[in-house]
Amino acid sequence: MGFRSYVIRRLVYAVIVLYVILTLNFILFRVMPGDPTKMIIDPNFTPEAKAELRRQFGLDEPPWKQYLNYMKNLLKFDLGYSFSTRRHVWNELKERLPNTIKLFLATFVLTSTVGMSLGVKAAATPGSFRDRVVIPAGLFSHAVPTFFVQLLMLLLFGYYWPIMPIHGTMSAPPPVGAWPQFVDKLWHLVLPVTSNMIVGFGSWALYARNTMIEALGQDYIITARAKGMSERDVLYKHALRSVLPPIVTLLFMSLPGMVSGAVITESIFSWHGVGRYLLDATLQMDYPAAQGAFYLIALAVVICNLLADVVYGLVDPRIRVGAGGVK
Amino acid sequence: MPKKVRLPIALVLALVLALGIAGAPGAAKMAFETTGPHVDEIIMPIIKDSEARRIAFERGESVVWAGLTQPEDIDRAKSMPNAEMTMTLGFHMFYLCFNMREEPLANQPIRQAIAHCTDRDNIIRTLFKGYMLPMTSFVPQVSPFYKADVPVYAYSHGKAAEVLDKAGYKRGSDGIRIDPKTGKPLREMKIFTPTYEVAPTSAELGKMIADSCQKVGLPVVPEPMDFPVMLDKIDIHEFDMYVLAWGLSRNPTHLYSFFHSSMDVEAGYNNPGMRNAEYDKQSERLYYAADLKEAKEAADACQLILAREMPYVPLYSRPYIDAFRDDLVTGYVPMMGFGAASYNNQWTTMNIRRVDRRGKAIEGGTIRWALQEEPKNLNPCVASSAYEQEVLSRLNDSLMAMHPETLDDMPWMARKWDVGVWEPEPGKKGTTVTWYIQKGIKWSDGMPFTAEDVEFTINYLKKNDVPRYLDATQDIVKVELIDRYTVKVYFDNISYWHVYNAGLAFLPKHIWKDVEDWKGFEPWKEAHPKIKGYSKLVGTGPFILKDYVPGEYVRLVKNPNYWRLNK
Repeated sequence: MGFRSYVIRRLVYAVIVLYVILTLNFILFRVMPGDPTKMIIDPNFTPEAKAELRRQFGLDEPPWKQYLNYMKNLLKFDLGYSFSTRRHVWNELKERLPNTIKLFLATFVLTSTVGMSLGVKAAATPGSFRDRVVIPAGLFSHAVPTFFVQLLMLLLFGYYWPIMPIHGTMSAPPPVGAWPQFVDKLWHLVLPVTSNMIVGFGSWALYARNTMIEALGQDYIITARAKGMSERDVLYKHALRSVLPPIVTLLFMSLPGMVSGAVITESIFSWHGVGRYLLDATLQMDYPAAQGAFYLIALAVVICNLLADVVYGLVDPRIRVGAGGVK
Repeated sequence: MPKKVRLPIALVLALVLALGIAGAPGAAKMAFETTGPHVDEIIMPIIKDSEARRIAFERGESVVWAGLTQPEDIDRAKSMPNAEMTMTLGFHMFYLCFNMREEPLANQPIRQAIAHCTDRDNIIRTLFKGYMLPMTSFVPQVSPFYKADVPVYAYSHGKAAEVLDKAGYKRGSDGIRIDPKTGKPLREMKIFTPTYEVAPTSAELGKMIADSCQKVGLPVVPEPMDFPVMLDKIDIHEFDMYVLAWGLSRNPTHLYSFFHSSMDVEAGYNNPGMRNAEYDKQSERLYYAADLKEAKEAADACQLILAREMPYVPLYSRPYIDAFRDDLVTGYVPMMGFGAASYNNQWTTMNIRRVDRRGKAIEGGTIRWALQEEPKNLNPCVASSAYEQEVLSRLNDSLMAMHPETLDDMPWMARKWDVGVWEPEPGKKGTTVTWYIQKGIKWSDGMPFTAEDVEFTINYLKKNDVPRYLDATQDIVKVELIDRYTVKVYFDNISYWHVYNAGLAFLPKHIWKDVEDWKGFEPWKEAHPKIKGYSKLVGTGPFILKDYVPGEYVRLVKNPNYWRLNK
């Protein structure tokens, strides 16, 4: 099987997975207890007004018809109107996506870089002081709840030593000029990204350390050392390369998780992003909004899986794509 | 048995003394001006996390810490030397509801016994450190319609046992009361509450009542559950008891919505399933009262019947407690029933002003007022949440205002109004309300506000069946434009309350007449057709929306065309 056929097959799988996810996305919200119109608990909101709202939401239609409308609209990338705000879901998501992507990219780059560097360094000298620091720090980072660290940082740098902004992505109102605005936005990134890094680097460090230690015990590493290669070359050119495939997979697989994991960070730092939107929509039973946010996340998962499959084949020489087929 | 007590005034005073909070009932006459505003700009950063809001207040990044409910927050604000606290009673009711449709709660003695087992004082002391007001009637104490001398089922296990014994519910060998009709032990009765994670005090409160009931042999157990599941079960009447809260308003029409037999339908609000002909008659008198006197008499009668029938056990009412940075601002007005920082309180918006270092009030400048949520949609036809009203209420004025202390109606954009009677059809009576609009009021874009805007708004909302205003517009038959500043609204039935149906967010005709998609219209995002730098979000209120950066902040500036401008 050629690389092209392999990619096409993966694409077909991806479409099927996406279809299943979208169908479940529709069903889940309908079987969930509750009714969106019940979220308005107001003595002046009469049964007639509720019925009118249900009609306007399209909830008076039979479920199969709702499903058909839902799929038809998704094909056109029409995510509908939010029940609670009556605004186009896509317009609302568009407002929030840049913030989530910014937060996510900064977190991702910092967390994976710091985590993997520490893991690789610790693996190079197992049992050393460095290793003995990295392991408990990694375990702490892996185990400590995100909200705890974030609230602590809020308290430390927002209250006791009030040097950092505690909410939002910019000052209100922002400074005048492009450069001051850029610096202002960076300044607002510091607390959320640092706190995410504190709770996120541990799993990267521990994973990188463990896989590297395993790799460093392999015969080809002994051979490389016997050949007189420098320790740096052994570490980065041989050992690290051999553990890259699972790490790359982990990299891609962690991408969508970070988007959905943004819920807590976005809530604590009042960040106007997709994670918080998803949370609000779910709590308010705002089907179109929640479905829209899930649709985006499902799309991200499927695309990342696809990329992971493709990149895995590229970085691992043991996997032959082309004449030998895919193993 | 029930006895008449006069709890509220003493309790209110006790609460106020305990809190040591300014602006409480009984304080000196409120000082407020009907002109303003006194600041040039309000910047409203959106701070969703409660801890971050507290820190913002302490750092002076918000002049207000609004709507304090948690005892630890109240204590924290009280301990700050530069914070002044205001407290007013609120239109709020927390209650235990019975399902009167099913045995054994269909029986009055069981409900009475549970009421006797409910220790409000202990609940308030234990769960809220005293920062709530015990509630004994079905209308909050702050309401002009509150009846103080209704019978109260005082907390007493002895009295609960006495009521049960007298009704034939004797204790069995295991201590559980025996149902005299079946000769079998009473079945288990559940109190639904939200979960501990979502609402810890409500969940604990359910447990406290259940534990207390068990002491007299009533098999009551708490059952915390997911909130939407609980609402579903309540809606289809599959419950024994539940605890929940209502946010009410000045007018006691909830007595009709909550307990009239016509509302005992799915999605109706008569959740206890009260069906009482005498009550129906009185609540109809209230709902369709011709004047205030009749409304008051009917509200009194309703409260007396409810106190006897006990479809709910009213538990407590939450006061509005707000903290202000008195080193930064002054002039906030505590308004009865709404607090000093609520969006319903136009007087704080009009009167708040900055202070200099010596604490002297100064005109102009900027204040910062934290919002706790996103005002997601600023289209007045769609906006429904309190967070949107936080912004819109400062951009719009209404025809009548409410006095902050007495809650009496005050002429505002309408200099006066007449209420009359007409015949929608032969033999039937309807209400008319004629509004006389003040001359000289302008929209924020400089166009005059006239009776035509009132007529247009009512017709527009009716034509489009806008759900948010359905209750206000459904009884309107027609609107007649008498002249440029006079408009007469015809209702198809008699009701004193119709005069309050004009509490609409008026739509500027010159902007909205071309809007067909009322749901999708985003006036704050569209440029004004004539004035550069303005949006189509035009109002008659003291402020104009200058910027709204979603997720970040809202910026309001003084409306130069405001008709009550402080000159």
